[in-house]
Amino acid sequence: MKRIAVFGYSVMSLEAMSRLNQEQYSIIFIGKDDAEAALVAEKGFDTKVIDFRNDDALRSIGIGADVDILFCFYPRDFDNVFLTISARALDKDITIVAIVDDPESAEKLLAAGANKIIDPYEICGRKTHEMLTKPDITNILDNTVFGRYDLNMAQIEIPKGSCLENTKTSDLKLNEKHNLILIGVVDRELGDQLHFAIREKEHCLDAGDVLVVMGPAREIKAFKKEVEQC
Amino acid sequence: MLTRLIVYFAYVLKKSRRYQCTKLFFYNLLENPNSRLKSYFDIFMICLVMLSVFLLIYEVDNKLGESELLFEHGVISLFIVEYLLRGWVYSDNHKIILEHYEKAKYLNVPFPLGKVAGIIIGKKIKYVFSPLALIDLLAILPSYRPLRILRVFLIFRLFKLFRYFNSIKLFANVIASRRFELATLGISLGFLVFVATTGIYLFEKPANGSQVKNLFDAFYWAIVTVATVGYGDITPQTTGGRIVAMALILIGLGILSFLVSIIVAAFNEEMDELRESSTYAELHRFDRFIIICGFGRVGQHIAAQLKKDRLHFVIIDTKEANVLKAKRQGYLVIHEDASKNGVIQNAGINKGATAVICTTGDDVINVYITLTSRHLNPDVRIISRANNQDNVKKLYQAGASNVIQPFEIAGMVVAEYIGQPVAFEAILGIIREESHIIMETLCVHPGSFVEGMNVGGIDFEQRKLMLLGIISANPAHQKHKNSYPIKNQHFYFNPEPHFVLRDGDLLVVIGREYAIDYFREQIEKSRLKNGRKR
Repeated sequence: MKRIAVFGYSVMSLEAMSRLNQEQYSIIFIGKDDAEAALVAEKGFDTKVIDFRNDDALRSIGIGADVDILFCFYPRDFDNVFLTISARALDKDITIVAIVDDPESAEKLLAAGANKIIDPYEICGRKTHEMLTKPDITNILDNTVFGRYDLNMAQIEIPKGSCLENTKTSDLKLNEKHNLILIGVVDRELGDQLHFAIREKEHCLDAGDVLVVMGPAREIKAFKKEVEQC
Repeated sequence: MLTRLIVYFAYVLKKSRRYQCTKLFFYNLLENPNSRLKSYFDIFMICLVMLSVFLLIYEVDNKLGESELLFEHGVISLFIVEYLLRGWVYSDNHKIILEHYEKAKYLNVPFPLGKVAGIIIGKKIKYVFSPLALIDLLAILPSYRPLRILRVFLIFRLFKLFRYFNSIKLFANVIASRRFELATLGISLGFLVFVATTGIYLFEKPANGSQVKNLFDAFYWAIVTVATVGYGDITPQTTGGRIVAMALILIGLGILSFLVSIIVAAFNEEMDELRESSTYAELHRFDRFIIICGFGRVGQHIAAQLKKDRLHFVIIDTKEANVLKAKRQGYLVIHEDASKNGVIQNAGINKGATAVICTTGDDVINVYITLTSRHLNPDVRIISRANNQDNVKKLYQAGASNVIQPFEIAGMVVAEYIGQPVAFEAILGIIREESHIIMETLCVHPGSFVEGMNVGGIDFEQRKLMLLGIISANPAHQKHKNSYPIKNQHFYFNPEPHFVLRDGDLLVVIGREYAIDYFREQIEKSRLKNGRKR
């Protein structure tokens, strides 16, 4: 189970925390004060109050030890930059996701060691644009993949010794057998790029390859189980 | 009898499409400020006027040849035709006749032919005496040989340019808007010149060796001095004259700077309005455009994306800094409050706007703009931003078609990035068209080869496409499984091979852009072919 530490109270941090599967992730919210922590605790998350400027306090919640992912969601960019620098110094491998208020701060955050920068305004702008230009597609994705229905996108890694090893992607026939659509495959031998399953090239699956599929949640779950067990 | 004939003729004109079209064409050519045709005509006329003026200058020292005379006659004929056409377009006689005829018929009184004729002639006379028509006439008249004496009026040809240059019209309008101040200043200036003329005449005329010989010399000196030009050809010799000169120079300076300040202030005040009206004019040339209310961070991103797509849009914002930013990017901007009915109406919510985007940082304003827009146009698409989750419902109630929550979306993006990075990047890549693989919808047109076909019968694999699902509002499909309701339609995910496609269904496919385009083309072609057969 991966451990995630979330810094900064906002609509966005609550949304991100509620969307992450609590069976897969152990989430801890770090508040500035007790009031903030109490608000988040009400939603059923573990909370702690520390001063993020203090390295010992950061260590005490597991940064540098068992925390795998860090969310820097403070409203002020310099707080996020400071937290990123501190956390990166404590742990070289930690994944840091930070939000940015001023687009100019994005470079600073990257330089400080953040892995992914999120600009809420940019995302919102893009989303509006998508809604304008491709209303049908956006509607489907919003209502299904990103929304309340159980139609999901998922990535499934082929484990070592799986029966799918050495299977051709065209022989998978996921749409017939599992009611899933194979969107694409990441062939680890060829890099991290996703190859869409549009019959341009035949892929032979190896251990470590990733299948990106779309379908109802229970079918995905069943298929995942099958891949792991067979 | 005559009345009946006139009324009959008026009805014929009213019904004649040809007459209406011809009149509309000439209106667009000569008068309609939003017409492209008029801009071309104006440029043509500017060139013609300039050429004819050059010919006049050439004529001063040289005798005109046959071809030049022919050109001159051609230009004059064109001026005459233009003058008459403008007179024709100026008012609709048949409308006046019919209006009065119907009124008379309703009241059961005889048709007042004389009165109507008076009104029609009155309208045309009004045209003849309008300043621009007078200039037109004066530019034509001197070319008539018996009126050679009026040659001085040939200079009016240059004034004709007034008609075609918008900036000159603008200058005239600005000056006209300050009539009162300028008139007051003109009266004081006139008084000053009068006092100075009398003073210098009284002091200088009797003096020995005086350069002021008569009252006109005095007046000429006063004007040259008050304008601070001071040629020096006439200079005061007496002490009294010099005192008058000193006073006149000082007061003249004051009055001149006052004049300049009035004109500058007028321009400053009018400029914003003029810029805005030019924005409206430009906007009305587009058939389809989008209105973006609020040019904050989100608005800026949307504008940049739309620009990339070469879609037309206009920005409405109240903040000076945002307006400046948008102007610097070269966007069309209206510096106004979008929540006012008039503003959003002028922006064209009923004249070509396809969507309104409310993206200010304040939910209260977004709700208000949404409500205003929905009230003004029940069919326009409204996409609104909600910064607070509680307001999403209110925005939908106000009439928004879609509501976007920046922080919620960002939160979702983070969760997806952590959970399914590959899948998520893939879907984002598809939506944003970053790779050549895109997701598109293809419509099953009636009469096309796909209508009535089984999904299994269309070889998507062969076409190098991936069928994700089908969007349809057709109740015939409802027996199929994997259906997800979306607004008034259903999305059928991974349809079975026996799923029969019906007219109006949308196929959601993923594939390379050209593969999708090719398939779409085939559907279109088959539709046209079958349509022709039928």
